[in-house]
Formats: sequence, C-alpha cells, structure tokens
Amino acid sequence: MAAAKGQHVFLTGVFVVTIFGVGLLQSGLEVSRGQRPQSADVFLKKPTAANLRAYEKNLEEASWFAEKVRPTVQYARFMLLDDAGPKTILGREGWLFYRPGVRYLIEPWPPKTVSGEGQGDPLPAILDFRDQLRARGIGLLVVPVPGKASVYPEMLTQRAPAPGQPLAGHTRKIIAQLEEAGVAVVDLFKVFDRAKRGEEPGGKTKYYLPQDTHWSPEGMRLAAEATARKLLELGLVERGQVQYDLKPVAVKRRGDIVRMMQAPRIERCFPAETIDCTQVVHRQSGEVYRDDPDSQILVLGDSFLRIYEQDAPGSGGMIAHLARELGFPLASLVNDGGASTLVRQALARKPALLANKRVVVWEFIERDIRFGMEGWPRVPLPAERQPGVAAAMLE
Amino acid sequence: MVFSSQVFIFYFLPLVLLVYYLLPGNRHLFLLLVSYVFYGWWNPWFVLLMLFVTAVNYAFGQWIAAPGASRRWKRVAMVASVVTSLGTLGFFKYYMFAAHNLNWLLGNLGIAPLTVVEVVLPIGISFYVFQSLSYTIDVYRGESPPVRSFFDFACFVALFPQLIAGPIVRYNTIAEQLVSRAHTWNKFSLGVALFILGLAKKVLLANAIGKVADAVFDAQAPAALDAWLGVTAYAFQIYFDFSGYSDMAIGLGRMLGFEFPRNFNAPYLSESITDFWRRWHISLSTFLRDYLYFPLGGNRRGTRRTYFNLATVMLLGGLWHGANWTFVLWGAYHGTLLIWERAMGKSSIYTRLPPPARIAITFLLLLFSWVLFRSPDIMDAWRFLSAMFGGSIAGGGSMLLAAEVYTQGTLIIMALCALVVFQPVQAFDWVETLTWGKAMLLILLFALSLMTMFVQAFNPFLYFQF
Repeated sequence: MAAAKGQHVFLTGVFVVTIFGVGLLQSGLEVSRGQRPQSADVFLKKPTAANLRAYEKNLEEASWFAEKVRPTVQYARFMLLDDAGPKTILGREGWLFYRPGVRYLIEPWPPKTVSGEGQGDPLPAILDFRDQLRARGIGLLVVPVPGKASVYPEMLTQRAPAPGQPLAGHTRKIIAQLEEAGVAVVDLFKVFDRAKRGEEPGGKTKYYLPQDTHWSPEGMRLAAEATARKLLELGLVERGQVQYDLKPVAVKRRGDIVRMMQAPRIERCFPAETIDCTQVVHRQSGEVYRDDPDSQILVLGDSFLRIYEQDAPGSGGMIAHLARELGFPLASLVNDGGASTLVRQALARKPALLANKRVVVWEFIERDIRFGMEGWPRVPLPAERQPGVAAAMLE
Repeated sequence: MVFSSQVFIFYFLPLVLLVYYLLPGNRHLFLLLVSYVFYGWWNPWFVLLMLFVTAVNYAFGQWIAAPGASRRWKRVAMVASVVTSLGTLGFFKYYMFAAHNLNWLLGNLGIAPLTVVEVVLPIGISFYVFQSLSYTIDVYRGESPPVRSFFDFACFVALFPQLIAGPIVRYNTIAEQLVSRAHTWNKFSLGVALFILGLAKKVLLANAIGKVADAVFDAQAPAALDAWLGVTAYAFQIYFDFSGYSDMAIGLGRMLGFEFPRNFNAPYLSESITDFWRRWHISLSTFLRDYLYFPLGGNRRGTRRTYFNLATVMLLGGLWHGANWTFVLWGAYHGTLLIWERAMGKSSIYTRLPPPARIAITFLLLLFSWVLFRSPDIMDAWRFLSAMFGGSIAGGGSMLLAAEVYTQGTLIIMALCALVVFQPVQAFDWVETLTWGKAMLLILLFALSLMTMFVQAFNPFLYFQF
C-alpha cells in the first residue's frame, strides 16, 4: 500500500468504524438482552423477495441507533424545515392537517394507479350494500364526513379558495352519483358551509379541532342534528319518547395529528387542548347514554363516531347526540379508519346486529373514498327477510 | 438492495470489505458471489437471467476470439450476441409496451385484442445487458482481449457497485483492472469520500426535494407557479439522485480497487443541449456514440445522414430509459434540439449570448424535457406543460398544494440544491485533493446523512426503474 496521509487514514477510520460499529453494537445489544441477533435471521428463512423485504424492514425497525436518533432528527427537521413528518402538514395559526386527507383533495380521482372494482370506486360497493340491506328490509343512509381541509382550507393555506367555492370535488361527485342512484345521503358539506357562514345555530365556532383530524363537539353536534333531520324527513324512523339531557364536561385532548408525529419533543410544542364537550344523560335515571343493540337504527362508522363517545368524556359523541335528537338509543359498530370496508366485514361477521333494524346509518370520512383500508370491495351479508317499510320508502 | 439503506451500509458493505481484504486470492469469485446476493436481494430469480446474459456473451466472446476463427464467423458470433442480448432486453422491457400498443391498434380496427402476459421488468437489465454487449463488440473490434475466465467476465457484468444504475462500464475500460489493480489507503479513502458525497446527495437533497416534485406532479391541476416549482424540483431531484448513485458506485468501486469512469460533469452548467450530453450520464452517451452513432456513420456521411443518425441515437436512447411513449418523445425532443444546434452552428442564439444566459436557456429547455421524463403518459405531460403556461386553472383542492410545497423547508432545500448545482466544482474532482477540512466536512455529512436515513422511508433511486 502507498503511504497515506493522515486525513485519508482518519476519514477511512471513521467510516470503517461507523459501518462496522453500528451492526456490531446492535448485535451485541441483542445478545445482551438474551435475544438472537436479528441480522442472523436472513439465514433462517427461504430467501424469497418477500422474506428479504421483511428482513430488511425488521432490521430497520429494531435498530437501536435509529430509535435513539430519530426524535432528535425529527425535532431538528421540524424546527429548521417546518417538516412535521410524513403524516402531517402544518397549517396556519397552529392548525395541523392530516396529509392523506389533504392529498385526497389535491390529487385526481380516481387515481391512475388504482383500477378495478373493489379498489378505487366506492359506488358499486355502496350500491351493493344498499341492495343487500334492502333485501333484509333495511334502509341505508350514507353520511360522508368532510375532511378538515375541506371545511377549513383557509387554515391550511392563504391560497385556499374563497368561502363557498367547491373544494372537495371528488366527494361532491360521489354524493351526486349516490343521490342519482337513489341512495339517501346527508350532505355535511352544505351543513358546515352554512354553519361557517353563520346560518346554523351555534355561531362561527370551530367545527374541527385545530390539532386533530376530527370534528369539535360543535361540529359533531351539527352532523348529528343533520343526520337526525334527514332520517325524520325521509320518514325512515319516527321520533322516540326517551328524554335525554346534556351535561357539560371539559376534557383535555392531545390532537391525534400531534400523536401521529411520534416525536415527543415536537408533541411538547403542542399542548393538549381543553375541549368543552357535552355528555348525553338519561333524564330520568341520570345515567350516561348507552347503546341498545335492539334499536331500530344501526350506526356504522369510524373514529368520527368514536371521538367523545368511546373517548373521553364518553357518551358525548355523534351516536349519543343522534340518539338524543331522535329520542331513542341506537346500536353502533365502530372501526377506526375502517369505515370503507372493515366495518362492513365486521357486520358480516355479526349479522345479529341487523335484527330489528329499520335503518343503517353509514358514516365514513371522505378521504376513505381514496385511501379507505382494504379499498371498496363488495362485502356479502347473509341474506334474510323480505323488503320492509324503510327500504320501500327509500325507493 | 439500496446503497442508502441500513442493511447495505451496516451489514452488507462491512462484511464485503472485511472478507474481500482478508482473502488471499479468488477475490473475483467472492465479488461475483456477493454481487449476485446484492442483485438477488430484489428478486432471487432475476439472477438466473443475468447468468444467462453473461453466459451467452461470454460464449460468443470466446467464439469471436477463438484462434483460427474466420472473419465471417466472428461477425456471425457478434451479431448473434447482439441479437440475443437485445432480444432479451427487448422481451423483458418492451414486450408489454408493444403488446398494449398492438392491442390498442387492433381495438381501433375492431379486432379482438390479444392476451397480454404480465412480464416483470428485472431491475438494472438495461445496464448489465449493455455492459455484456460491450464486451463482445470490443473483442470483435479487436479493442479488447478476450477475458481470461468466465468468473472474471461474470464479475465484470455483475459487479455490484455499478450494477443497477451505472455508470455503464465498458469492458475495455476495466479489462486491465480485472487482471490487476492497486489497493491503496488513498484510493480507498477517496472512494469513501465519494461514497459519502453520493449518500449526502441522495439522502439530504434528492429525497427531500423529491417530495416537492412528487406533490406537484401528482396534483390534479397545479397552478403555473406550482408547475414551474415542481419541474425545477424534479430537475434537481433526478440530478442528485442519479449523480448521487454514480458517486456512490464509483466510490465503492475505489474501495474495491476499481476505477470507474465519471458519469456527470456539472450538467446544469451546460451552455447548449449538445454540451449537456457531454456532461449528463456520460457513460450512456459515450456508449451510444461508440456503439450506435459511429457505426451508423456519425457525421462523416453528409449533413442529412448526420441528422438522421442523431435522431436515431436519441430516439433509441429515449426508449432505452423506458417502454413508454413519453421516453420516445423525450428522445425525439433532445434529438431535435441537437439537430437544431448543429444546423444553426455559430449562428445559434447560444453563441450570441453571454454564458449565464446560455446556461439559463439550456436549463429551461431541459425543464421541458424533464416534464416528459417524469410524466406517466403523454396526456399527463401535456396537462403539466399546459399548467406551466397557465393553461390549467388551479381550482378546488389543487389550491391546497401551496400548503405542501411553499414551506420554509422547500425554500432551504431548493436554495441548497441550486447552490450545489450551479457551481462548477463536482464531487468527482472535489475529493481528489483530500484536506483535513474536507475530511471533517465529509464526516459531518456522513453523520447527517445517516441520521436522516434513519427517519426516511424506503426510497430507491430513480434510475433503478431503467
């Protein structure tokens, strides 16, 4: 070997020590914990493309160095580059937005990369679900929930369209197609639009939480009122006699978008919000609202149903408020992030939930039209019963 | 396996270096073995195809070099090698493209479409087929001696540092190094330096700016300003991504004692498109020049023939990048510009303007070509080009794009990219004189790149798809 200058040796030394050191230390750490070094796993499985991808992924996820370094890098990127991670977009005045929800609005729909039924188009799946329910004598009311960016684009960017200009073109198109196909739909876009212009009771409050993907208690109440109004207008159900009262409860909630960043130091920049909720309580017994599996209404949906209902304060979410508006308790089936398909699959596994039902209210967040887990396949329900009153009224 | 991944940097590379430097002999056999592991990491079955291409070209090379082989037989062997290699490339890369286009044509003629079998494109096939082919052609032309053993040849074809995305190393460039090459501290450390610079280009710049490009190109209706920002971001991304890979490949080569040719030379400082092709993907342009343009007659058969040759080379060069009409158009666009520059000669607008203006015009012309390169189809490219000139009204959700792309981070990364791109010192030259200051800067960049790599998702190099 030729004579080497100090800087050459130094650079090579640091490089070699680093590339050797990380792997060796990781293995040493695993051995000291009584584990087999994960790097050796490559010899344990057949070297297929899938196994090798999984091996590489596991190696990266188990990396002690990555775990230690990640929070610092994330924090530095957040402070220097306004980079809040792959799931978050920083809005104005401390508002945070869930990136897939924003991408849904920006990108064309249907996307070119997704094709074929069960993948990109929700229409066949919704119509099929409607038809299956109709065969059981059950009506369907669809409630697509606007994403936060659809309702508050001005909190995302100054370049947002002027109020009143349509933003969520894809969802509006789907709503129009559903209505044309005879599916009953609650158009919450119009509801929130009117509310923001001060045309709904409640004034110009925030209908979505600044650091969360979900609606605020006020937004949720508007949705519950609009859904109840639609159910009653269509004559799908009659108002019940159960009396419920509202009980104010303040809860502290750290926004789910903050938590998605998975960076404790960044999370500390966003203190938990105090939210004024209202629990629904039975007027006579004073007990908080509880579902009734034998109710004539089954509500299906995602975390927009879960928030305030199963989360703190409990019994203060859309299901409870819808029950209050209708005057009787409801049955519900909630699957976080899985309102496009998983919740229907869960229903198919529990067909007893459909017993005595007149209507199914199906809520899903609009971004699921594009990003719904498992896409939009048809989900067969066990066939039963003859068409009933509610289904006939929807025709 | 991606160079900018934990499994490569912390497991594969140290193991390879350790064993390579401990082995007293048979280093080529070892390099061949680990190169197959590296390549098979994507899909182990692809190794068989590479082995086939290698064996075929080795056999034809031996045939050509056989003592007493007639000129006619040599020619037959060379043509057979070209047909087999390009046939393999054509089948895997262009079969589906051809079949879909044929079905489109049949559909328009009212004829039932043919069944199209799904053919998976093996990664890096365009690169290793060209490399293998260069061997038989060089041996046929008498520019290189035949390889001494199959393992040496297989090692040359599969050599993992530049296997997937180049630089395309021609056999006659590396023939002597396959016989003997020096391993020195200086060479190794310069390799380390280039590897680090390439890693930094990829992880710190290309991946970061790529998010901006992706956001804009994926938008339904970007505004004019968004579109210009997006295509500029893509121009930076593809440069840093591809030249980053090349730097890492050349660096890894040096760590193993090889000297690979440079692949980039400040391409965005080009003062014309002709100049650009002397600075961008140099190994491909010289390959096409030596194995296609010159055999077609180059510029020695008259003006018209020269233009025809230029157009042919650029069209095929475009098609080499991918089986899509966008690449054909991209090649045609570059071919047209090359012909135009040649036709204008000294009366070209380039020659009348000061260098900064020439650089700016060339960069602008390149931006249009990158729209074709990045777009998934011609309609999308047209839509994007229209947007650049205000032809699409950014309405609805597309207005929200601003929140994603006009951030402090974008501003900083764009400024950094522009600063690096529009200065003349290139990584390849910068590392040649390694001072203490440079060594410290490199260590800092290495640390930053690794830390950033830990938080980035899987992000393969753009040129892997070619």
